[in-house]
Parts: sequence; structure tokens; C-alpha cells
Amino acid sequence: MIKEAIDCIDAGTEYCPCKLAESGECLICSQCQGECFCDCLNWKGVCIYQELYNNGNKAKEGRKTFDCNVEDVTNYNNNMIMIKFKAPHKLVLDLATPGSYIFVRTDENKYFDIPISIMNSDIENDVITIAVEIRGIKTNRLLNIKSNENIVIRGPYWNGVFGIKNILAQKEAKVLVLARGIGLAPMMPVVRKLALQNNELQVVIDKSPFEVNFASELLDQYKIQMSENLLLDQGKLSDHAKVIIKDALNDGASYIHVAGADILTYCVINYLNDIDRNDVSLSCCNNFKMCCGEGICGACTSRFSGHRVKRFCKEQADPRSIFEGRRFI
Amino acid sequence: MKVVIIGGGWSGVASAISSKKAGADVTVIEKTDLLLGLGNVGGIMRNNGRYTASEELIALGGGELIEITDRVSTHTNIDFPGHKHATLYNVNMIEGEVHKYLTTLGINLMMESRVNNVKFENGKIKGVYLSDDTYITGDVFIETTGTTGPMGNCLRYGNGCSMCVLRCPSFGPRISISERCGVSDIQGETNNDSLGAMSGSCKLAKESLSQELRTQLDSKGVVVLKVPVEDVNYDKLSTKVCQQYALKEFAENIILLDTGHAKLMTTYYPLHKLRKIKGLENAKYVDPYAGSKGNSIRYLSVAPRTNDLKVTGVDNLFCAGEKSGLFVGHTEAICTGTLAGHNAVRLALGLPLLILPSSIAIGDLITYANEKAGTREGRKDRYTFAGSGYFKRMKELNLYTTDINKIRERVKKINLDNIFSQKLC
Repeated sequence: MIKEAIDCIDAGTEYCPCKLAESGECLICSQCQGECFCDCLNWKGVCIYQELYNNGNKAKEGRKTFDCNVEDVTNYNNNMIMIKFKAPHKLVLDLATPGSYIFVRTDENKYFDIPISIMNSDIENDVITIAVEIRGIKTNRLLNIKSNENIVIRGPYWNGVFGIKNILAQKEAKVLVLARGIGLAPMMPVVRKLALQNNELQVVIDKSPFEVNFASELLDQYKIQMSENLLLDQGKLSDHAKVIIKDALNDGASYIHVAGADILTYCVINYLNDIDRNDVSLSCCNNFKMCCGEGICGACTSRFSGHRVKRFCKEQADPRSIFEGRRFI
Repeated sequence: MKVVIIGGGWSGVASAISSKKAGADVTVIEKTDLLLGLGNVGGIMRNNGRYTASEELIALGGGELIEITDRVSTHTNIDFPGHKHATLYNVNMIEGEVHKYLTTLGINLMMESRVNNVKFENGKIKGVYLSDDTYITGDVFIETTGTTGPMGNCLRYGNGCSMCVLRCPSFGPRISISERCGVSDIQGETNNDSLGAMSGSCKLAKESLSQELRTQLDSKGVVVLKVPVEDVNYDKLSTKVCQQYALKEFAENIILLDTGHAKLMTTYYPLHKLRKIKGLENAKYVDPYAGSKGNSIRYLSVAPRTNDLKVTGVDNLFCAGEKSGLFVGHTEAICTGTLAGHNAVRLALGLPLLILPSSIAIGDLITYANEKAGTREGRKDRYTFAGSGYFKRMKELNLYTTDINKIRERVKKINLDNIFSQKLC
């Protein structure tokens, strides 16, 4: 069978080779999959097998935890909380790329770790901003966080956005960003990257379920065309969203970033298919459940046709491939 | 008709020339910034039976590259242990000359372009993908990616990446195209049950040698120095690719050849030991950069093929050079490359494919190496006109000669004179 080229977000970083390579399950390297010869389909600039060998055939140490000082906390009616905290400069740099996320520790018990996307990583002041929607027993604990106290985090992790290749490919182009709810938080590093690459951005924001656009302060830093509208209407793409997409594509955009729940991404993909525009490139949030983030626990895995199991804590993918051939049983 | 050649080493370049001359639209995809691959650190031509093969190739109408190597040679007709009438080309001149020649022929050269995968459907390659996702279609493909590296293979079967001229850490790994099509590669073996073999020579910067050695190299082309008794290592010979240089003399002596750099005829040699030898006190490696610890590992990826050089199991893929057998050397690569390029055009036109008869050395080598690759013993051997078992065979079969007229007559007798110059479409 012809093997599929897989992209690993951690390949070639200081966290590579990881435990997967150590146990013969590397996503990329054939030699670290128990094979005898190189079949390096998706070379990321380093030889993972050599890195593993030079490290005594052991995985590199995983991510560290950091105690960080909280600078500011904003509580939005106990529905959502925005936390700004100081972090080491190296970590702030590592978390500036689109898709960066951390685990926030809310209890001594590690099961209470929450995977949270970075909303902003201020490299000049070494301040990181996260926004968390209060939903259950883990997030509830964050309501107690106060300024000048410590917050414990683990990171950096990077696979919070799918289609990173497509984000990087947008240069001096017209791009459309559709964001909804808590998706506004992970949208910000994407907007920053797109703006840095001199793109002309149109951002459409659906605040629900919140009452305010909590990203407005950060968005104001960029020269973008922004509007607020409902994107989903009873689980379907709203008529307004359809008009926006169509107009943007007619206007010359050929890329859309979807920052919201999977249902929004799925609706956009289907709509593009309906209007025969599968050529439009996409990026979206990675909404898989994360627990360890290191390729070990399996919380983020999903099954696909052809007996394929994908580990989405590490595997970069195109948004369309997340839904194509996915098994629900 | 479009012929796509993957790999711009000696065999890829030879395929490009012969398929272009036969009338195809030709694209060469090369991952590094230089054509010729290991040819940039080689340099030995026309030694022993390679003389016969070179002249056969000229008589067959495919002698362009032989003429270029002759032209940029710094030494002709030199002898060194086990070898006679060698020509040494200057490795620092050759690439530019060949590059220029291919450009004048109108061959499309895609440099720093690395093939990542293939689109394989119904037994045929439809196109190849580059690492930047560019998709390149073609009618016929020729794989001349060689069998060396990448880093993981050099680590598993050798002493790790020694930073050779292929520069995988910079330009990325070689992919086996045939293996991508589901055709399993053949590996060369050694006597101790391991796979692959280590490249057999290094290059020292000529300027790092003593004035005396430099003068001798410049005038004679060859220098032989005694290895201190305590450092003689006969075991190293068995791991070597180039069995024609795996002679006792090559373990007991340091043999330097002037190919622009000083070619050191050994797989690797720790620098501190090398520097114990008079005249080499300041010696420095230029290829592989880590010549103290190892050299590149080859023969891990030979494709099964028929004697017309078509890969078995893929309808429109040919192979040449090391990819087509356990061959050693530029001459062998140029010969197989020339045939593969010519046959690629024949295949696209629906013409019968050319198989060179065993009455000439080139035909015999291609057939003999293929036959041998089927046996375990045969996979432990290497095949070259220049020595090892095959040169012995050449002499036994009376194929070896340096009489140019005799070679021309032989080629004429089988009606193949200038066959590679014929435009087929």
C-alpha cells in the first residue's frame, strides 16, 4: 500500500524525538516506525532517527511546567474569563505562532489540566493572554484566579490550528476570517500572522454565546475590515454567512480561516462544496480533546477509513481531511 | 513526448542527453544545487576495462560525456596499484562544463527540487510531487536517484552522516521512486550479513599537503605512501563499495590521486592517524567533511529491472546508475544512463526496447550484473569495468581491449554504431 505523507507539528523541534519515536510509532520517520530503511516522505529538515540515536535512543524530555504571575483577570459574567500573565521570554516567543496552546493546571491532580489556546503572546512585555469559557469542573476552578497570584502552566504546544501551511501561504492576498464564540481567542494569532504577511483581512465575528466581542481591543491594532453577524443559525450556516463567503470569493479571496466549533468548519466546507469551490484553501481550529498533548494518552485520536488512527495533538492536517473518511464508531 | 528524470548524477545526466537526442522533451529534477552527484568527488575514468567501455560508448554514438571528462582531465594514462591507463578529471571543473552542455541542448534542469512522492495509477507513474507540492507530469520517467543515503540509512548501516557531497541535511533525503510504486528494492550485501557498503574514497584539500607531495601529485597524478604498520587495517577493505580498490596495496599504503583535490583511496581514515604520515601533517578533509569517522552508505536501494533497464512492475519507469544494479563508477553510470534515456523514448513511441548484446562490454556488464543480483553471493559483489570480478571476466571473454579500431568494428558488426545519435521522433 502506498503510504500517506503525514505532517507532525513537533518534528524537528526541541521536543523531537518524542515518546512516539522512542517506541517505534513516530508519525514521520520510517526508521522510527520499526522499518529498516529511510522512506522520508515528509522531511522536516532534521533526521529524527539520528536525533533519537544521538539522544541514546530515548525521547527528549517533554514540556515543562511553569509558575507564572497573573497580571490581570477580567471576568465576563462568570461565563468567560480572560487572564493575562507574565511568562519567561523563551516561552512567550514559542507561543507566538498560530495554533499555540498550553495546559493550565487548576489542581494538584493532573486530570484537571485544561488545554487552552493562546489569544495573544506579547513578545515585548512577555505577557500571555488566554480566554477561557467556563463550562465544567475544570474551568470552574479558574474563576478563583486573582491578580498577583500564580498560575501553573505546561507548554508550549502548537497544534491548535489545522491548515497552518495554508496560513503561511497567504501573502498580499485577500483573506476571509469567520470566528464564533470562544473561537475568537485562537483566531488572534492567526489574524496577527495574516496581517504580518500583508494580507487584506475581512473578519466576521459572531459573538454568541457571549454578549461582547472580547477580542475587539486586540483586533483594533490591525487594519482590518470587521463586522459582526450571526454565522450559525440553528446548526446551519446562516444565509448571511453564505452571502459573506460568496461575496468575498467573488472579490478575489481564495482562503478562509474558520475559528469556531467543528460544526462551523463543517458547514463552511460543505457550503464551499455546494458552490463548487473546493479550490478555496482553509484553516480552522483543532477542536479535538487534548489531555497529555504528547502523543501518549490517545484522547485526541480519531479513526479514519483504511484503519488509520490519527493523533491530532501532533498531526497537522488540512481542515477538509479532518472530516473526510472519519469513522464515528 | 516528455521524459522526466529524477536525479541529476552522472546517470541522470547521461539519460537526459540520450533521450534529448532521441527527440524527447526532457526535464531533470535534481535535489541539490549541483549536477553529477558523487561525480563531483570522483574523477577516475578509463582505468582498466573502463577504457573499453568508454570507447564503446563513443562508437555507439553516446560519447559526449566521455569527451567532456577527457577534456577537463588533468592527468591521462596514469597507472596506480591494480590499475592501468587511468584518466583523472578535475572535479572542480567538471560540473560547470556538464551543466553548460545540458543547457545548450535545451534540457530543462530543475535544480534544488526534491521529489517527495509519486502519483501511481494502474501500473503507471502519472507524475511526481516535489517537496514544495509542485506536481510534474510526464510520459516516461527515469529514476537515477542512486542508492546512497539519506542520513538514517548512513546511520543504521554506517557510522552516521559524514557530511558528503550529497548534503542530505541541507537538501533533504533521497526517496526511492520505485519503492513508492510498491516495487521492493534490492540491497547490496556484505560478507558479515550487513547491508549496503561504504563509499570508497575521500578528498583531502591539496593545499593541506606538503609541498613535496603537491609537486609529485601535480606532475605524476599519483602518490603512494606507506601506512604505519600499527595502523594497517585489512578489515576495512571488505566494507568498501569499490572492490576494484579493495586490494592489499590499498590497506598497506595511502594512495593519493590528483583529481583537483587529493583523492584518498580509502573509505575513511581518522585524521590524527593520517597526520602521522610524512607530508600529511596538516591534512584536511574536503569530502566527506567528516572523513575521520565515516563515509556515505550505498547500495540500499537497487530497483529490480530487465536488461533494457525498465523497472519491473512499473510500466513507464526506467532506472540507471547504481539504481539499476550494484555498479561502481561514473563510466558505468554514464553507460546505463545513456541506454535508459534512449529506451525511454523508444517506450513512449511503442518501439521495441534496445538490449545491448553481450558481445560488447557494456551489454555484458548490464546483463551479468542483473543475473548476479538474483543470488545472495551476487549481491555481495560489485560490478565495474575497472576491477573486481567483472574485469577478470572481461579479460576472459576477450572483451577488454584498448584498441579503438577493434572496438569500433565490434560495435559496427552488431549494427549499433551511432545508435544513440539517432533521432527517433
